[in-house]
Amino acid sequence: MNCKKVLRLLSIYQDRELDPALERQVESHLRDCQPCRSEWEGLQELVGNLKCLQPPASDPYFPTKVMAGLPANRAAKFRLLPAIAYALVFLTIFLSVFFLQLSRNNTVGAEKPQAATFTAVLFENQDLGLLAVHDNTLALFER
Amino acid sequence: MTDDEIVSAVLAGHRQDFEILVQRYSGKIIHFITSMTQDRDEAQSIAQEVFLKIFQNLPYYRKENNFSAFIFKIAKNMTLNWLNREKRTVLFSRLLAWEFNKAPFRQEPPLVSHHEQSERDSDIMRNLRLLPEEQRLALILKVYLEFSYKQIREITGWSIPKIETLISRAKSRLKKNIHLQERSREIVYTARKK
Repeated sequence: MNCKKVLRLLSIYQDRELDPALERQVESHLRDCQPCRSEWEGLQELVGNLKCLQPPASDPYFPTKVMAGLPANRAAKFRLLPAIAYALVFLTIFLSVFFLQLSRNNTVGAEKPQAATFTAVLFENQDLGLLAVHDNTLALFER
Repeated sequence: MTDDEIVSAVLAGHRQDFEILVQRYSGKIIHFITSMTQDRDEAQSIAQEVFLKIFQNLPYYRKENNFSAFIFKIAKNMTLNWLNREKRTVLFSRLLAWEFNKAPFRQEPPLVSHHEQSERDSDIMRNLRLLPEEQRLALILKVYLEFSYKQIREITGWSIPKIETLISRAKSRLKKNIHLQERSREIVYTARKK
């Protein structure tokens, strides 16, 4: 393995993410090559310094603050509101149908809607077979 | 109690168990956000929002995934959103400053100030902030939080070769910049002595 390849793999080797076979090759190269070893030592020093950086001091009240900021009741938020919305939609539809029907009954009076009747017509000369035709449509032809 | 057990308990209605997760991960999350933003006060408030978001997203967590990756994905997204907002604010204030020929209203985010922090630590922090965002994110996840490349892939959605390249470039850039700074400091020091 040449220096160029080793230098390219050095960071991955440092992160312990290299394939074991390649890792052995890098190690063996570092033992023999002074410039690459010096590069490796520089990298080790840098990561050592980075790891030594002090993490920010933790606030002992942080968990309490987080818990106080959580929504009051998950159940209320996620289940009650959609239920109310569905109930309102249903009620609106029901009431509008009810009042529509009521107003129709008032205007038409005693007239009852006629049941639709169908007559079977057989078209013998054509290949249409048997058709069910609404009586109103048939009345149009008769005229 | 494992993370998955706590999640199940919280989803079953024992919301007080969520505090165990907060205690377990708050240090790492705050450390991560502080390293990314370099602003300790903002890091605390972003971390609070992150935990709120985690709580709201618990029903969408799948047990076959890594819980740590799940929460750091949320933390990463919220931190990057904050950084983008911050960039826009700085740009806007600079435009205003240019318009009115004044100093910008909002300066760069302040550096973390540790009384006990050495000069070298300050150098590292300053140079870390100068790294491109993706390189900084990859390096912090690997070096500070010690995630494996696979976990970083889960958190960021990047491919492994991209992660390798980002971390490698971040290290060389950081090393080069710190070296240059040390050299220039030596030169100034020698010049003053003369």
